[in-house]
Amino acid sequence: MKDTMSGLQKSFFIKARDFVHAGEASIRVQQLLKTMHFDPRLIRRIAVCCYEGEMNVVMHGGDGHLRMDLDRLVLNLEISDDGPGIADIELAMQPGYSTASDEQREMGFGAGMGLPNMKKNADEIAIESPPGKGTRVRMRFFLNAGG
Amino acid sequence: MKAMAEVRYSTHFVRFQEERCTGCAACLRVCPTKAIRIRQQKSIRIVNQCIGCGACIRACPAGAVSAATIGFEGIGRDHVAIALVSPVLYAQFPGVTPGGVLLGLHRMGFRHTVDMSFFLEMFQYAAEEFIRRNRLSPVSPWPLISPICPVVVRLIAFQFPSLLPHVLPVLRPVALMAREVKKQILPAHTSQGQQVTLYFINPCPTKAEIRSDGRGVPPEHREAAIGINDLYAELKRQVDQILDSDLIPYSGSGYEFETCSSGNAALGAMSGGEISNMEIEKSLSVHGLQETIAYLHKIEMGVLKDFEYIEFRTCREGCLGGVLTAVDPYIAKRNVQKMIGVFGLGRRLPRDTILRLYEKGRFQPDQNPQVLTRLFGACKPALSLEEAQRIEAILDLIEGRDCGACGSPDCLTFAEDVVRGNAALTDCIWLQARQQKKS
Repeated sequence: MKDTMSGLQKSFFIKARDFVHAGEASIRVQQLLKTMHFDPRLIRRIAVCCYEGEMNVVMHGGDGHLRMDLDRLVLNLEISDDGPGIADIELAMQPGYSTASDEQREMGFGAGMGLPNMKKNADEIAIESPPGKGTRVRMRFFLNAGG
Repeated sequence: MKAMAEVRYSTHFVRFQEERCTGCAACLRVCPTKAIRIRQQKSIRIVNQCIGCGACIRACPAGAVSAATIGFEGIGRDHVAIALVSPVLYAQFPGVTPGGVLLGLHRMGFRHTVDMSFFLEMFQYAAEEFIRRNRLSPVSPWPLISPICPVVVRLIAFQFPSLLPHVLPVLRPVALMAREVKKQILPAHTSQGQQVTLYFINPCPTKAEIRSDGRGVPPEHREAAIGINDLYAELKRQVDQILDSDLIPYSGSGYEFETCSSGNAALGAMSGGEISNMEIEKSLSVHGLQETIAYLHKIEMGVLKDFEYIEFRTCREGCLGGVLTAVDPYIAKRNVQKMIGVFGLGRRLPRDTILRLYEKGRFQPDQNPQVLTRLFGACKPALSLEEAQRIEAILDLIEGRDCGACGSPDCLTFAEDVVRGNAALTDCIWLQARQQKKS
Protein backbone atom coordinates (compact mmCIF):
# COMPACT_ATOMS: atom_id res chain seq x y z
CA MET A 1 0.00 0.00 0.00
CA LYS A 2 2.77 2.36 0.97
CA ASP A 3 4.60 2.11 -2.34
CA THR A 4 1.71 3.36 -4.37
CA MET A 5 1.42 6.55 -2.35
CA SER A 6 3.36 9.60 -3.36
CA GLY A 7 2.48 12.02 -0.57
CA LEU A 8 4.03 12.78 2.79
CA GLN A 9 3.63 9.85 5.14
CA LYS A 10 4.12 9.65 8.85
CA SER A 11 3.38 6.96 11.36
CA PHE A 12 2.98 7.27 15.12
CA PHE A 13 2.89 4.51 17.70
CA ILE A 14 0.03 4.65 20.21
CA LYS A 15 0.49 2.80 23.47
CA ALA A 16 -2.45 1.12 25.18
CA ARG A 17 -3.68 2.75 28.40
CA ASP A 18 -1.05 5.49 28.16
CA PHE A 19 -3.25 8.48 29.03
CA VAL A 20 -0.24 10.70 29.67
CA HIS A 21 1.01 10.67 26.09
CA ALA A 22 -2.36 10.34 24.38
CA GLY A 23 -2.83 13.21 21.98
CA GLU A 24 0.83 13.64 21.04
CA ALA A 25 0.44 12.15 17.57
CA SER A 26 -2.47 14.50 17.02
CA ILE A 27 -0.33 17.47 18.06
CA ARG A 28 2.44 16.48 15.63
CA VAL A 29 -0.03 16.24 12.77
CA GLN A 30 -1.45 19.66 13.67
CA GLN A 31 2.02 21.22 13.85
CA LEU A 32 2.83 19.98 10.38
CA LEU A 33 -0.43 21.24 8.93
CA LYS A 34 0.04 24.62 10.61
CA THR A 35 3.44 25.17 8.96
CA MET A 36 1.64 24.58 5.66
CA HIS A 37 -0.98 27.23 6.57
CA PHE A 38 -4.08 25.13 6.12
CA ASP A 39 -7.36 26.69 7.21
CA PRO A 40 -7.48 26.72 11.04
CA ARG A 41 -11.00 25.26 10.97
CA LEU A 42 -9.86 22.36 8.81
CA ILE A 43 -6.88 21.75 11.10
CA ARG A 44 -9.22 21.73 14.04
CA ARG A 45 -11.48 19.10 12.44
CA ILE A 46 -8.43 16.97 11.76
CA ALA A 47 -7.15 17.51 15.31
CA VAL A 48 -10.44 16.35 16.80
CA CYS A 49 -10.43 13.19 14.66
CA CYS A 50 -6.79 12.36 15.45
CA TYR A 51 -7.37 12.82 19.15
CA GLU A 52 -10.59 10.82 19.32
CA GLY A 53 -8.92 8.06 17.31
CA GLU A 54 -5.92 8.03 19.59
CA MET A 55 -8.12 7.94 22.68
CA ASN A 56 -10.09 5.01 21.29
CA VAL A 57 -6.87 3.05 20.94
CA VAL A 58 -5.60 4.09 24.37
CA MET A 59 -8.88 3.15 26.04
CA HIS A 60 -10.04 0.08 24.16
CA GLY A 61 -7.57 -0.98 21.55
CA GLY A 62 -4.33 -2.37 22.84
CA ASP A 63 -1.28 -0.96 21.05
CA GLY A 64 -1.89 0.72 17.75
CA HIS A 65 -0.76 3.20 15.12
CA LEU A 66 -1.86 6.48 13.65
CA ARG A 67 -0.76 6.86 10.07
CA MET A 68 -1.17 9.90 7.92
CA ASP A 69 -0.71 10.34 4.22
CA LEU A 70 -0.85 13.85 2.85
CA ASP A 71 -0.89 14.80 -0.81
CA ARG A 72 -1.99 17.88 -2.64
CA LEU A 73 -5.69 17.15 -2.49
CA VAL A 74 -6.42 14.93 0.46
CA LEU A 75 -5.23 13.93 3.89
CA ASN A 76 -5.79 10.29 4.72
CA LEU A 77 -5.69 9.17 8.32
CA GLU A 78 -5.64 5.59 9.41
CA ILE A 79 -5.90 4.55 13.03
CA SER A 80 -5.42 0.87 13.64
CA ASP A 81 -5.00 -1.33 16.68
CA ASP A 82 -4.80 -5.00 17.60
CA GLY A 83 -7.46 -4.81 20.29
CA PRO A 84 -10.67 -6.80 20.68
CA GLY A 85 -12.48 -4.93 17.92
CA ILE A 86 -15.93 -3.36 17.95
CA ALA A 87 -18.80 -5.82 18.42
CA ASP A 88 -21.50 -3.66 16.87
CA ILE A 89 -20.20 -0.78 14.76
CA GLU A 90 -23.65 0.70 14.14
CA LEU A 91 -24.27 0.88 17.87
CA ALA A 92 -20.81 2.35 18.50
CA MET A 93 -21.61 5.16 16.05
CA GLN A 94 -24.59 6.25 18.17
CA PRO A 95 -23.83 9.36 20.25
CA GLY A 96 -23.57 8.47 23.92
CA TYR A 97 -23.03 4.76 23.46
CA SER A 98 -19.90 3.71 25.32
CA THR A 99 -18.20 0.57 26.55
CA ALA A 100 -15.75 2.50 28.73
CA SER A 101 -15.15 1.25 32.26
CA ASP A 102 -16.35 3.19 35.30
CA GLU A 103 -12.75 4.02 36.05
CA GLN A 104 -12.24 5.55 32.60
CA ARG A 105 -15.45 7.55 32.99
CA GLU A 106 -14.25 8.86 36.31
CA MET A 107 -11.13 10.06 34.54
CA GLY A 108 -13.41 12.12 32.31
CA PHE A 109 -13.32 9.88 29.27
CA GLY A 110 -15.77 7.47 27.69
CA ALA A 111 -18.67 9.83 27.03
CA GLY A 112 -19.56 7.79 23.96
CA MET A 113 -18.79 10.62 21.55
CA GLY A 114 -15.57 9.27 19.98
CA LEU A 115 -16.78 7.71 16.76
CA PRO A 116 -19.72 10.13 16.35
CA ASN A 117 -17.28 13.04 16.65
CA MET A 118 -14.98 11.49 14.07
CA LYS A 119 -17.88 10.93 11.72
CA LYS A 120 -19.01 14.53 12.18
CA ASN A 121 -15.58 16.01 11.51
CA ALA A 122 -14.17 13.79 8.75
CA ASP A 123 -15.23 14.17 5.13
CA GLU A 124 -15.26 10.38 4.73
CA ILE A 125 -14.95 7.62 7.26
CA ALA A 126 -14.72 3.84 7.03
CA ILE A 127 -14.50 1.45 9.95
CA GLU A 128 -13.41 -2.16 9.73
CA SER A 129 -13.43 -4.38 12.75
CA PRO A 130 -13.45 -8.09 11.90
CA PRO A 131 -13.82 -10.17 15.09
CA GLY A 132 -10.51 -10.78 16.80
CA LYS A 133 -8.49 -8.82 14.26
CA GLY A 134 -8.44 -5.37 15.81
CA THR A 135 -9.97 -2.20 14.45
CA ARG A 136 -9.05 0.03 11.54
CA VAL A 137 -10.60 3.45 11.16
CA ARG A 138 -9.83 5.32 7.97
CA MET A 139 -10.71 8.95 7.49
CA ARG A 140 -10.31 11.32 4.59
CA PHE A 141 -10.21 15.10 4.50
CA PHE A 142 -10.46 17.19 1.35
CA LEU A 143 -7.91 19.95 1.67
CA ASN A 144 -9.32 22.58 -0.61
CA ALA A 145 -12.84 22.50 0.75
CA GLY A 146 -11.99 24.92 3.57
CA GLY A 147 -13.62 24.64 6.99
CA MET B 1 22.07 49.62 33.95
CA LYS B 2 20.43 48.83 30.64
CA ALA B 3 22.82 50.58 28.30
CA MET B 4 21.19 50.93 24.93
CA ALA B 5 24.50 50.79 23.08
CA GLU B 6 25.09 47.19 24.07
CA VAL B 7 21.76 46.03 22.82
CA ARG B 8 21.95 44.33 19.48
CA TYR B 9 18.68 42.54 19.20
CA SER B 10 15.44 43.30 20.83
CA THR B 11 11.76 42.69 20.46
CA HIS B 12 8.83 44.69 21.78
CA PHE B 13 9.33 42.92 25.09
CA VAL B 14 12.92 41.77 25.62
CA ARG B 15 16.47 42.90 24.89
CA PHE B 16 19.48 40.71 24.18
CA GLN B 17 23.00 41.83 25.04
CA GLU B 18 25.38 39.91 22.86
CA GLU B 19 28.43 40.84 24.92
CA ARG B 20 27.09 38.80 27.80
CA CYS B 21 25.80 35.89 25.72
CA THR B 22 27.82 32.70 26.12
CA GLY B 23 25.95 30.85 23.38
CA CYS B 24 24.61 28.22 25.78
CA ALA B 25 21.31 27.94 23.90
CA ALA B 26 19.16 27.94 27.06
CA CYS B 27 16.89 30.69 25.68
CA LEU B 28 16.42 28.87 22.38
CA ARG B 29 14.91 25.83 23.96
CA VAL B 30 12.39 27.58 26.19
CA CYS B 31 11.02 30.01 23.61
CA PRO B 32 7.43 28.91 22.88
CA THR B 33 7.35 30.49 19.43
CA LYS B 34 10.83 29.21 18.54
CA ALA B 35 11.83 32.76 17.75
CA ILE B 36 15.51 32.69 18.76
CA ARG B 37 18.51 31.40 16.82
CA ILE B 38 22.20 31.52 17.61
CA ARG B 39 24.57 32.00 14.72
CA GLN B 40 28.38 31.62 14.85
CA GLN B 41 28.14 30.38 18.44
CA LYS B 42 26.89 33.59 20.01
CA SER B 43 25.24 35.97 17.64
CA ILE B 44 21.54 36.13 18.47
CA ARG B 45 18.87 36.46 15.81
CA ILE B 46 15.19 36.91 16.31
CA VAL B 47 13.45 35.11 13.48
CA ASN B 48 9.92 34.70 14.73
CA GLN B 49 7.19 36.42 16.68
CA CYS B 50 8.00 37.37 20.31
CA ILE B 51 4.91 37.17 22.50
CA GLY B 52 6.54 38.59 25.64
CA CYS B 53 6.35 35.53 27.90
CA GLY B 54 9.75 36.24 29.47
CA ALA B 55 10.87 32.60 29.40
CA CYS B 56 14.21 33.62 27.86
CA ILE B 57 14.87 36.11 30.68
CA ARG B 58 14.23 33.36 33.21
CA ALA B 59 16.36 30.82 31.35
CA CYS B 60 19.46 32.93 30.66
CA PRO B 61 22.22 32.12 33.19
CA ALA B 62 24.44 34.92 31.88
CA GLY B 63 22.08 37.84 32.38
CA ALA B 64 22.15 38.61 28.68
CA VAL B 65 18.38 38.95 28.34
CA SER B 66 16.39 41.66 30.03
CA ALA B 67 12.91 43.13 29.83
CA ALA B 68 12.21 46.12 27.64
CA THR B 69 10.97 48.08 30.64
CA ILE B 70 12.42 51.33 31.94
CA GLY B 71 14.12 52.08 35.26
CA PHE B 72 12.43 54.35 37.80
CA GLU B 73 14.95 57.20 37.84
CA GLY B 74 13.44 60.65 37.67
CA ILE B 75 9.85 59.64 38.16
CA GLY B 76 7.58 62.63 38.58
CA ARG B 77 10.45 65.11 38.32
CA ASP B 78 9.20 67.10 35.34
CA HIS B 79 5.86 65.45 34.80
CA VAL B 80 2.83 64.08 36.60
CA ALA B 81 3.49 60.41 37.25
CA ILE B 82 0.55 58.03 37.55
CA ALA B 83 1.20 54.50 38.80
CA LEU B 84 -1.06 51.77 37.46
CA VAL B 85 -0.47 49.07 40.01
CA SER B 86 -0.60 45.34 39.39
CA PRO B 87 -1.95 43.44 42.44
CA VAL B 88 1.30 41.49 42.45
CA LEU B 89 3.00 44.51 44.00
CA TYR B 90 1.03 44.14 47.26
CA ALA B 91 2.16 40.52 47.58
CA GLN B 92 5.80 41.64 47.69
CA PHE B 93 5.41 43.28 51.11
CA PRO B 94 4.36 40.95 53.94
CA GLY B 95 2.52 42.69 56.77
CA VAL B 96 1.95 45.87 54.79
CA THR B 97 -1.53 46.88 53.70
CA PRO B 98 -2.19 47.71 50.04
CA GLY B 99 -2.78 51.27 51.23
CA GLY B 100 0.70 51.31 52.75
CA VAL B 101 2.25 50.11 49.51
CA LEU B 102 0.40 52.80 47.55
CA LEU B 103 1.53 55.43 50.05
CA GLY B 104 5.10 54.27 49.48
CA LEU B 105 4.62 54.87 45.77
CA HIS B 106 3.41 58.40 46.50
CA ARG B 107 6.54 59.08 48.47
CA MET B 108 8.60 57.88 45.52
CA GLY B 109 7.12 60.61 43.35
CA PHE B 110 3.93 59.18 41.92
CA ARG B 111 1.13 61.74 42.06
CA HIS B 112 -1.61 59.18 41.60
CA THR B 113 -1.74 55.47 42.33
CA VAL B 114 -4.39 53.37 40.66
CA ASP B 115 -5.36 49.99 42.06
CA MET B 116 -5.93 47.47 39.28
CA SER B 117 -7.97 45.07 41.43
CA PHE B 118 -10.79 47.63 41.37
CA PHE B 119 -11.00 47.05 37.62
CA LEU B 120 -10.56 43.31 38.00
CA GLU B 121 -13.83 43.37 39.96
CA MET B 122 -15.53 45.25 37.15
CA PHE B 123 -14.14 42.71 34.71
CA GLN B 124 -15.41 39.82 36.83
CA TYR B 125 -18.96 41.16 36.89
CA ALA B 126 -18.86 41.67 33.13
CA ALA B 127 -17.38 38.20 32.54
CA GLU B 128 -20.06 36.58 34.69
CA GLU B 129 -22.74 38.43 32.77
CA PHE B 130 -21.33 37.44 29.39
CA ILE B 131 -21.14 33.80 30.45
CA ARG B 132 -24.68 33.88 31.86
CA ARG B 133 -25.99 35.20 28.55
CA ASN B 134 -23.88 32.76 26.55
CA ARG B 135 -25.61 29.92 28.40
CA LEU B 136 -29.00 31.22 27.29
CA SER B 137 -28.10 32.06 23.70
CA PRO B 138 -24.62 30.93 22.72
CA VAL B 139 -22.52 33.35 20.72
CA SER B 140 -19.08 32.05 21.73
CA PRO B 141 -17.85 28.44 21.93
CA TRP B 142 -17.12 26.75 25.28
CA PRO B 143 -14.80 26.81 27.06
CA LEU B 144 -14.24 30.55 27.08
CA ILE B 145 -10.65 31.56 27.73
CA SER B 146 -9.69 34.38 30.09
CA PRO B 147 -8.28 37.36 28.16
CA ILE B 148 -6.36 38.66 31.20
CA CYS B 149 -2.91 37.19 30.51
CA PRO B 150 -1.82 38.89 27.28
CA VAL B 151 0.79 36.20 26.63
CA VAL B 152 -1.96 33.60 26.45
CA VAL B 153 -3.93 35.65 23.95
CA ARG B 154 -0.83 36.23 21.82
CA LEU B 155 0.05 32.54 22.05
CA ILE B 156 -3.41 31.72 20.74
CA ALA B 157 -3.03 34.18 17.86
CA PHE B 158 0.36 32.68 17.04
CA GLN B 159 -0.15 28.98 17.46
CA PHE B 160 -3.87 28.32 17.95
CA PRO B 161 -5.75 30.73 15.67
CA SER B 162 -8.76 28.40 15.60
CA LEU B 163 -9.21 29.16 19.32
CA LEU B 164 -9.51 32.95 18.94
CA PRO B 165 -13.35 32.75 19.13
CA HIS B 166 -12.90 31.17 22.58
CA VAL B 167 -11.23 34.27 24.03
CA LEU B 168 -13.78 36.01 26.28
CA PRO B 169 -14.78 39.23 24.46
CA VAL B 170 -14.64 41.45 27.54
CA LEU B 171 -12.19 44.32 27.96
CA ARG B 172 -9.23 43.35 30.16
CA PRO B 173 -8.84 44.96 33.61
CA VAL B 174 -5.67 46.76 32.56
CA ALA B 175 -7.44 48.25 29.54
CA LEU B 176 -10.42 49.30 31.68
CA MET B 177 -7.97 50.88 34.09
CA ALA B 178 -6.07 52.80 31.42
CA ARG B 179 -9.29 54.04 29.86
CA GLU B 180 -10.68 55.26 33.18
CA VAL B 181 -7.43 57.01 34.10
CA LYS B 182 -7.33 58.78 30.75
CA LYS B 183 -10.92 59.87 31.17
CA GLN B 184 -10.91 60.89 34.81
CA ILE B 185 -7.41 61.80 35.96
CA LEU B 186 -5.58 62.86 32.83
CA PRO B 187 -7.70 65.88 31.76
CA ALA B 188 -7.23 67.63 35.12
CA HIS B 189 -3.48 67.79 34.46
CA THR B 190 -3.25 68.12 30.70
CA SER B 191 -5.70 71.03 30.76
CA GLN B 192 -3.11 72.87 32.86
CA GLY B 193 -0.41 72.07 30.36
CA GLN B 194 1.25 69.46 32.54
CA GLN B 195 3.04 66.53 30.95
CA VAL B 196 1.63 63.21 32.23
CA THR B 197 3.17 59.74 32.15
CA LEU B 198 1.28 56.54 32.89
CA TYR B 199 3.58 53.98 34.48
CA PHE B 200 2.38 50.39 34.34
CA ILE B 201 4.00 48.62 37.28
CA ASN B 202 4.26 45.09 35.99
CA PRO B 203 5.35 41.64 37.15
CA CYS B 204 6.24 40.60 33.59
CA PRO B 205 7.67 42.07 30.39
CA THR B 206 4.37 41.96 28.53
CA LYS B 207 4.17 45.76 28.76
CA ALA B 208 1.07 47.74 27.97
CA GLU B 209 -1.03 47.09 24.91
CA ILE B 210 0.81 47.40 21.68
CA ARG B 211 -0.97 50.00 19.63
CA SER B 212 -2.89 48.03 17.06
CA ASP B 213 -4.41 50.87 15.09
CA GLY B 214 -1.10 52.12 13.72
CA ARG B 215 -1.51 55.51 15.37
CA GLY B 216 0.95 56.66 18.00
CA VAL B 217 0.23 57.38 21.64
CA PRO B 218 -1.53 60.76 21.99
CA PRO B 219 1.01 63.55 22.50
CA GLU B 220 -0.39 64.88 25.77
CA HIS B 221 0.76 61.87 27.69
CA ARG B 222 3.31 59.10 27.57
CA GLU B 223 3.11 55.49 28.67
CA ALA B 224 5.88 53.37 30.11
CA ALA B 225 6.30 50.00 31.80
CA ILE B 226 8.34 49.45 34.96
CA GLY B 227 9.23 46.03 36.31
CA ILE B 228 8.38 45.44 39.96
CA ASN B 229 11.98 44.35 40.53
CA ASP B 230 13.21 47.73 39.22
CA LEU B 231 11.50 49.74 41.93
CA TYR B 232 11.34 47.14 44.69
CA ALA B 233 14.42 48.27 46.65
CA GLU B 234 13.38 51.92 46.78
CA LEU B 235 9.73 51.11 47.52
CA LYS B 236 10.81 48.75 50.30
CA ARG B 237 12.79 51.59 51.87
CA GLN B 238 9.77 53.91 51.70
CA VAL B 239 7.37 51.30 53.04
CA ASP B 240 9.71 50.48 55.95
CA GLN B 241 9.87 54.18 56.84
CA ILE B 242 6.09 54.39 56.78
CA LEU B 243 5.85 51.39 59.10
CA ASP B 244 8.46 52.87 61.49
CA SER B 245 6.84 56.28 61.67
CA ASP B 246 3.31 55.01 62.33
CA LEU B 247 1.96 57.29 59.63
CA ILE B 248 -1.76 57.23 59.20
CA PRO B 249 -2.48 55.03 56.19
CA TYR B 250 -2.98 56.91 53.00
CA SER B 251 -6.56 58.08 52.57
CA GLY B 252 -6.33 61.33 50.70
CA SER B 253 -7.19 60.09 47.25
CA GLY B 254 -9.77 61.70 45.03
CA TYR B 255 -11.06 58.58 43.32
CA GLU B 256 -12.20 55.33 44.78
CA PHE B 257 -9.80 53.35 42.62
CA GLU B 258 -6.81 55.27 43.90
CA THR B 259 -6.57 53.24 47.03
CA CYS B 260 -7.41 49.78 48.17
CA SER B 261 -8.42 47.95 51.32
CA SER B 262 -9.76 44.56 50.37
CA GLY B 263 -8.33 41.07 50.38
CA ASN B 264 -9.61 40.83 46.82
CA ALA B 265 -6.83 43.21 45.90
CA ALA B 266 -4.03 40.68 45.94
CA LEU B 267 -6.11 37.62 45.12
CA GLY B 268 -5.95 38.37 41.41
CA ALA B 269 -2.18 37.97 41.49
CA MET B 270 -2.44 34.30 42.40
CA SER B 271 -3.16 31.45 40.03
CA GLY B 272 -6.83 30.62 40.47
CA GLY B 273 -7.47 34.05 42.00
CA GLU B 274 -9.47 35.26 39.04
CA ILE B 275 -12.00 32.40 39.07
CA SER B 276 -12.05 31.63 42.79
CA ASN B 277 -14.58 34.35 43.58
CA MET B 278 -16.44 34.33 40.29
CA GLU B 279 -19.84 32.76 39.97
CA ILE B 280 -18.85 30.21 37.36
CA GLU B 281 -19.06 26.68 38.59
CA LYS B 282 -17.52 24.90 35.61
CA SER B 283 -14.23 26.72 35.52
CA LEU B 284 -10.55 25.80 35.74
CA SER B 285 -7.30 27.59 36.35
CA VAL B 286 -4.12 26.47 34.59
CA HIS B 287 -0.70 28.00 35.14
CA GLY B 288 2.75 27.57 33.63
CA LEU B 289 3.85 28.00 30.02
CA GLN B 290 4.07 24.32 29.11
CA GLU B 291 0.81 23.54 30.90
CA THR B 292 -0.94 26.37 29.08
CA ILE B 293 0.27 25.09 25.72
CA ALA B 294 -0.79 21.54 26.60
CA TYR B 295 -4.29 22.67 27.59
CA LEU B 296 -4.68 24.86 24.52
CA HIS B 297 -3.87 21.75 22.47
CA LYS B 298 -6.55 19.91 24.41
CA ILE B 299 -9.15 22.56 23.68
CA GLU B 300 -8.17 22.49 20.02
CA MET B 301 -8.66 18.72 20.00
CA GLY B 302 -12.18 19.13 21.34
CA VAL B 303 -11.50 18.23 24.98
CA LEU B 304 -12.72 20.42 27.91
CA LYS B 305 -15.95 21.35 26.12
CA ASP B 306 -17.81 20.79 29.40
CA PHE B 307 -16.04 23.74 31.01
CA GLU B 308 -17.33 27.26 30.67
CA TYR B 309 -14.27 29.29 31.57
CA ILE B 310 -10.56 28.68 31.84
CA GLU B 311 -8.13 31.03 33.53
CA PHE B 312 -4.72 30.62 31.93
CA ARG B 313 -1.52 32.19 33.25
CA THR B 314 1.73 31.38 31.52
CA CYS B 315 3.74 32.03 34.69
CA ARG B 316 3.93 29.42 37.43
CA GLU B 317 1.62 30.29 40.34
CA GLY B 318 0.10 33.00 38.16
CA CYS B 319 1.32 36.59 38.00
CA LEU B 320 3.11 36.12 41.34
CA GLY B 321 5.59 34.04 39.35
CA GLY B 322 6.22 36.79 36.82
CA VAL B 323 9.84 37.14 35.80
CA LEU B 324 10.02 40.77 36.95
CA THR B 325 8.82 40.18 40.51
CA ALA B 326 11.16 40.69 43.46
CA VAL B 327 9.91 38.12 45.96
CA ASP B 328 9.84 34.33 45.61
CA PRO B 329 6.41 33.29 44.24
CA TYR B 330 5.69 30.83 47.03
CA ILE B 331 6.46 33.41 49.70
CA ALA B 332 4.37 35.94 47.81
CA LYS B 333 1.53 33.43 47.63
CA ARG B 334 1.61 33.02 51.40
CA ASN B 335 1.54 36.81 51.75
CA VAL B 336 -1.62 36.92 49.66
CA GLN B 337 -3.24 34.20 51.75
CA LYS B 338 -2.43 36.09 54.94
CA MET B 339 -3.81 39.30 53.51
CA ILE B 340 -7.08 37.58 52.64
CA GLY B 341 -7.15 36.24 56.19
CA VAL B 342 -6.89 39.76 57.58
CA PHE B 343 -9.16 41.66 55.19
CA GLY B 344 -11.49 38.93 54.05
CA LEU B 345 -12.92 38.80 50.58
CA GLY B 346 -15.71 40.87 49.21
CA ARG B 347 -16.32 43.07 46.25
CA ARG B 348 -16.29 46.80 46.62
CA LEU B 349 -18.46 47.55 43.64
CA PRO B 350 -22.22 47.05 43.36
CA ARG B 351 -23.26 44.59 40.64
CA ASP B 352 -26.15 46.78 39.42
CA THR B 353 -23.89 49.68 38.51
CA ILE B 354 -21.53 47.46 36.57
CA LEU B 355 -24.36 45.71 34.72
CA ARG B 356 -25.70 49.10 33.64
CA LEU B 357 -22.30 49.88 32.16
CA TYR B 358 -22.29 46.42 30.56
CA GLU B 359 -25.60 47.20 28.84
CA LYS B 360 -24.04 50.35 27.43
CA GLY B 361 -21.28 48.28 25.82
CA ARG B 362 -18.53 49.66 28.05
CA PHE B 363 -16.80 46.28 28.30
CA GLN B 364 -16.59 45.55 24.61
CA PRO B 365 -12.99 45.05 23.49
CA ASP B 366 -11.82 47.63 20.98
CA GLN B 367 -9.54 45.14 19.29
CA ASN B 368 -10.91 42.46 17.02
CA PRO B 369 -9.14 39.11 16.88
CA GLN B 370 -8.03 39.63 13.29
CA VAL B 371 -5.76 42.42 14.52
CA LEU B 372 -4.13 39.96 16.90
CA THR B 373 -3.55 37.52 14.08
CA ARG B 374 -1.87 40.28 12.12
CA LEU B 375 0.31 41.34 15.06
CA PHE B 376 1.17 37.94 16.48
CA GLY B 377 0.17 35.35 13.88
CA ALA B 378 2.74 33.03 12.35
CA CYS B 379 4.74 35.25 10.00
CA LYS B 380 6.63 32.63 7.99
CA PRO B 381 5.49 31.72 4.48
CA ALA B 382 3.56 28.48 4.10
CA LEU B 383 5.57 25.34 3.39
CA SER B 384 4.73 23.40 0.26
CA LEU B 385 4.17 19.66 0.30
CA GLU B 386 7.63 19.11 -1.20
CA GLU B 387 9.23 21.28 1.47
CA ALA B 388 7.39 19.40 4.22
CA GLN B 389 8.68 16.15 2.70
CA ARG B 390 12.23 17.48 2.64
CA ILE B 391 11.92 18.36 6.34
CA GLU B 392 10.97 14.77 7.12
CA ALA B 393 13.86 13.51 5.00
CA ILE B 394 16.32 15.75 6.84
CA LEU B 395 15.00 14.55 10.20
CA ASP B 396 15.57 10.95 9.12
CA LEU B 397 19.06 11.82 7.90
CA ILE B 398 20.40 13.69 10.93
CA GLU B 399 18.91 11.46 13.65
CA GLY B 400 19.56 14.31 16.04
CA ARG B 401 18.89 14.69 19.75
CA ASP B 402 17.37 18.19 19.91
CA CYS B 403 20.73 19.37 21.27
CA GLY B 404 20.55 22.93 19.91
CA ALA B 405 24.26 22.99 19.03
CA CYS B 406 23.37 24.03 15.48
CA GLY B 407 21.81 27.22 16.81
CA SER B 408 18.22 26.19 16.16
CA PRO B 409 16.04 25.18 19.14
CA ASP B 410 15.36 21.59 18.08
CA CYS B 411 15.84 19.21 15.15
CA LEU B 412 12.42 19.85 13.62
CA THR B 413 12.99 23.60 13.62
CA PHE B 414 16.53 23.09 12.29
CA ALA B 415 15.21 21.01 9.39
CA GLU B 416 12.67 23.72 8.68
CA ASP B 417 15.43 26.38 8.80
CA VAL B 418 17.48 24.36 6.30
CA VAL B 419 14.54 23.98 3.94
CA ARG B 420 13.78 27.69 4.18
CA GLY B 421 17.43 28.46 3.38
CA ASN B 422 18.25 29.91 6.81
CA ALA B 423 20.66 27.22 7.99
CA ALA B 424 23.11 24.78 6.44
CA LEU B 425 22.78 21.01 6.87
CA THR B 426 26.47 20.96 7.84
CA ASP B 427 25.61 22.89 11.03
CA CYS B 428 24.36 19.62 12.56
CA ILE B 429 27.08 18.12 14.77
CA TRP B 430 25.48 14.66 14.69
CA LEU B 431 25.65 14.58 10.93
CA GLN B 432 29.23 15.90 11.03
CA ALA B 433 30.27 13.20 13.48
CA ARG B 434 28.74 10.45 11.38
CA GLN B 435 30.39 11.70 8.22
CA GLN B 436 33.80 11.90 9.90
CA LYS B 437 33.46 8.33 11.09
CA LYS B 438 32.75 7.21 7.55
CA SER B 439 35.74 8.95 5.98
